[in-house]
Amino acid sequence: MPDRLSFFIPRESRVHSLNPLTKLALAFSLIILAFFGPGLFLPVALYFFVLVPLSLLGKVGKEFLQTSFRLLLPLFAFLFVMQSLFYPGGETVIFSFWIFSATSEGVVFAFRTATRILVMVSSFLLLLLTTHPSTLMNDLSRRGVPASLSYIITSTLQIIPQMQARAVTIQDAQRSRGLDTGGNLINRIRSLLPLVGPLVFSSLVDVEERAIAIEARAFTLPVKKTSLIDIPDSRGEAVLRWVMAALSLMTIGYRIWLSLN
Amino acid sequence: MKLINSIKRDFNTMTLVMIPVAIAINVVIGQIVALLKLPVYLDSIGTVLVAAICGPWAGALTGTLSNIIWGLLVDPNALPWFPVALFIGFVAGWCAVAGLFRTWWKVIITGILVALAAATVSTPIQVYLYGGITASGSSFITAFLLQTGRDLITAVLSTNFLVEPIDKIATCLLAFAIIKGLSTRYLARFPRPENITM
Repeated sequence: MPDRLSFFIPRESRVHSLNPLTKLALAFSLIILAFFGPGLFLPVALYFFVLVPLSLLGKVGKEFLQTSFRLLLPLFAFLFVMQSLFYPGGETVIFSFWIFSATSEGVVFAFRTATRILVMVSSFLLLLLTTHPSTLMNDLSRRGVPASLSYIITSTLQIIPQMQARAVTIQDAQRSRGLDTGGNLINRIRSLLPLVGPLVFSSLVDVEERAIAIEARAFTLPVKKTSLIDIPDSRGEAVLRWVMAALSLMTIGYRIWLSLN
Repeated sequence: MKLINSIKRDFNTMTLVMIPVAIAINVVIGQIVALLKLPVYLDSIGTVLVAAICGPWAGALTGTLSNIIWGLLVDPNALPWFPVALFIGFVAGWCAVAGLFRTWWKVIITGILVALAAATVSTPIQVYLYGGITASGSSFITAFLLQTGRDLITAVLSTNFLVEPIDKIATCLLAFAIIKGLSTRYLARFPRPENITM
């Protein structure tokens, strides 16, 4: 289980102090560009000329590269092996052994898929490394996203670590009274219930109390709520967001125009 | 308007407070199951639980947010799969409305229907986003089917139809077992207690 709950690393940087919505818009427009933009090498270019420099500017370059390698390397290894061997319609054989043969169409396809996934995952990673999830939700609810939605997300982020801690306690308690969590499959299935049961029921007990607590604080009243935290936003960033939205729309338009011709 | 009102009725305070707990159940049980190295995921027990006692819309929201939270905390790879989780909650919710969450053998039918929905929705995502191959073990089945001359969509779809039912039936049965362990008084506070009482 991860030591810290979110990817967020608190540091002072130009990227950290950007408005969360700007970073979210950047992530989405990069993904749209990577998936619908022209050229085989565009996603790689986006990664090396946009995402990596931004992660360095945000002083999270090391964590950015480490985490994206950890998350994506197994997938990419798998993808390249499987697609180069089994890509349907591959004809140009590069090499073959026994009953397998690797085709260059498969390798190109794997490259295209892998670089797109690279941009998708790492642009979200950049957002998450430099933005705390609750800051993002605060900013979104200020802009009109329902308050109940941001309540759900922020309180989930608080409940999960509590529940993980409780799960560890239950595991230790059950092991100390002799529960075997290793061994063969049937053994492991049997050990699931004594671990999951107490965890689920004890956390469901809290639900009713919490409902009464937030009702007593007028959470469900349909009035405009004020925010305690002020999140900075500038005119320049708003312009930047419109430029990114326009660029994304142009890319999608270009792709539709291509498929019509 | 009738639809909007029925959706609003499903989102009472208990539902709002229940959804975060359900998402946490999804994440933590998913991690315990991975720790025990069981051949299933069981990462949507909370989603099915909410779907059964708070209705299909709340179930769909729980599923979607679960994937987003999983993406925020553990692995951004989970983000594009949110439609699958959405439909798991949605289908389970309608099954419960139709009375398919009252006895254990009816719950198995729910599990099968949920599995069909999950398999169907995940196929286009897997094909168009990942080219059919993901890092899970079931991709070997897909590769085998491709090698025997099936086209990509058929191969991915049949793999999913093979793999999903066991996981989803187990998920629904566990959610049912949890509901059976809760008191009638507690369940009555949720929007749809009639889904599970006889």
